Amino acid sequence: MTLIQIDEYDTPAGKSLAETIKASIRTPDSLGLDRCIQCGACTASCPAARFTAYNPRLLVKRVLENDRGVLEDETLWNCFYCYTCQLRCPRNNSPAKLVQVLRQLALNEGIGLENMEHFLGLGEFFAAHGISQVPEHYLGKMAEALGSSWVEFKRDLPAIRAELGLGSLDIRDERKEIRSILEGTGHFERAESLRARLKESGASEGIEENKFLNAIPGKNKSEDINLEKNGRYSGPEALIV
Amino acid sequence: MKKMEDIPDRKLLLFKSCMVSQEYPGIEKATKYLFDRLGIDYFVSEEQSCCTGIGHYVDLYGQLTTTAIAARNFAVARKCGYPNIACMCSTCYAINKEACELLNGNEEVRAQVNSVFREKGLEDLVYAKGDLDERTNIFHVLEVIFSKKELLTEMTEVDFSGLKAAAHHACHYYKFRPEDMIGNPENPRLIDGVAGACGADMLRWYEDRSLTCGMGFAQLHIHKDTSLKVTQTKLESLRKAGVELLLHMCPNCHIQYDRCQPVIEKEFGSEYDFVHMNIAQFAALALGADPYKVCGLQTHSVPLENFLEKYGII
Ligand code: SF4
Ligand code: SF4
Repeated sequence: MTLIQIDEYDTPAGKSLAETIKASIRTPDSLGLDRCIQCGACTASCPAARFTAYNPRLLVKRVLENDRGVLEDETLWNCFYCYTCQLRCPRNNSPAKLVQVLRQLALNEGIGLENMEHFLGLGEFFAAHGISQVPEHYLGKMAEALGSSWVEFKRDLPAIRAELGLGSLDIRDERKEIRSILEGTGHFERAESLRARLKESGASEGIEENKFLNAIPGKNKSEDINLEKNGRYSGPEALIV
Repeated sequence: MKKMEDIPDRKLLLFKSCMVSQEYPGIEKATKYLFDRLGIDYFVSEEQSCCTGIGHYVDLYGQLTTTAIAARNFAVARKCGYPNIACMCSTCYAINKEACELLNGNEEVRAQVNSVFREKGLEDLVYAKGDLDERTNIFHVLEVIFSKKELLTEMTEVDFSGLKAAAHHACHYYKFRPEDMIGNPENPRLIDGVAGACGADMLRWYEDRSLTCGMGFAQLHIHKDTSLKVTQTKLESLRKAGVELLLHMCPNCHIQYDRCQPVIEKEFGSEYDFVHMNIAQFAALALGADPYKVCGLQTHSVPLENFLEKYGII
């Protein structure tokens, strides 16, 4: 079994940041990085620039100057991936895509790991159920913020889905294809290494590993997530308030 | 630019969305209701998985993983004989389009994805160049509904005249692939077209019409204050415009507006008297669908009862 390194595809080695970005499979061949005219249309229409210190025009400039300091710039993590910059850019450049590659490069160097903390368990959940779930800490926060009506709704979800004539939340995946694909494309190694380095760095807020996995009823039986025997969804633990 | 005639109404795989399924299942039911009434040939597969969108855009999944998962879903579409993918979520739409383009245009990626399938004994998932076309096989559900808007006008039963509504089009629909949408990306009007056909009075423009909803994938989690600030800005501009209803086309925006509106009211000390709906829920309501048993409006956080009473629906 050949082991696939995600880095080879998302952040291939290059002489400069720009070379890596252009060679990454995240960006199209037509990317106009070198064609940037520093017009600022991206920054003018960027929500992150409007509400935070982030500046996509400047980011592009720094990338073209091969200033690796961009990887340590915390504003890199403010982008919404809304692609407004890409729409407006007259040179077919895409700060949104640049940020995607730069965040991967930063993570490779152990920078920004704390931003990944809530999401590292998504792959395990996906492998087990074939769907994605919003991170559990968020469910907990929503329960806090929205109070009982939302908690009730979450409990009644299976009944509501049944009333709407909708099937199981879990997909049918007898051959465990999703797990195989995540394994085969190197996802679990990547998630593991991020988790290990996060722990090492001490940047973790102390969220229990896999906490959100533990919160899923019947997590080992792929058909069990939506309906418990009594017809009610027991719900993630954090929702029991 | 895509033309309305290019939108298929046969052999559509209605592509399930994780956030629709778990937060607003009425969007799926309302879409099916509309497709049935409009005579659209579609299929829902139990085998289709999440597109990876959430994980992809919180920087977790690599592009190869995302592309391989998409290739599996394309195989599902092919095998069931419904190769026209119609997405309810704009991120599913963007992810599938991009993965399809990569699989067709990048030989190395295609070979690598296929070698993973072969090594795992999943030969039937192998993707051959051109199996699907990113432009002519992948759509947003709204495009399908929009292409039938004349029929909607004929079939509308509820009188929505005088309803002042506004549209929020999804970033991952019109900003990500502007060359691939119906209409002008600087002024998308698909939602307006459908709601207008059902009798709503659509606001032509409002201050922050093209601003993102604020969810921003990781942003809602790692920079919650900024995320809610963006949403609040949007809500404020809608308040100033005096709308009763905001219509959207993506469950992520829907969560951000409907779930977060009460949170924003608390945190920012503001009050909003408008409600939220997906455009499919609204069009189904217009055609006489049950607000709860079809549109699933009981799953919303901003209650819609006053709105439904006002238009004689309940
Ligand atoms: S809009 Fe495009 S060309 Fe203008 S500064 Fe931004 S990236 Fe450069
Ligand atoms: S994708 Fe990022 S850089 Fe581009 S406009 Fe949106 S927030 Fe700004």
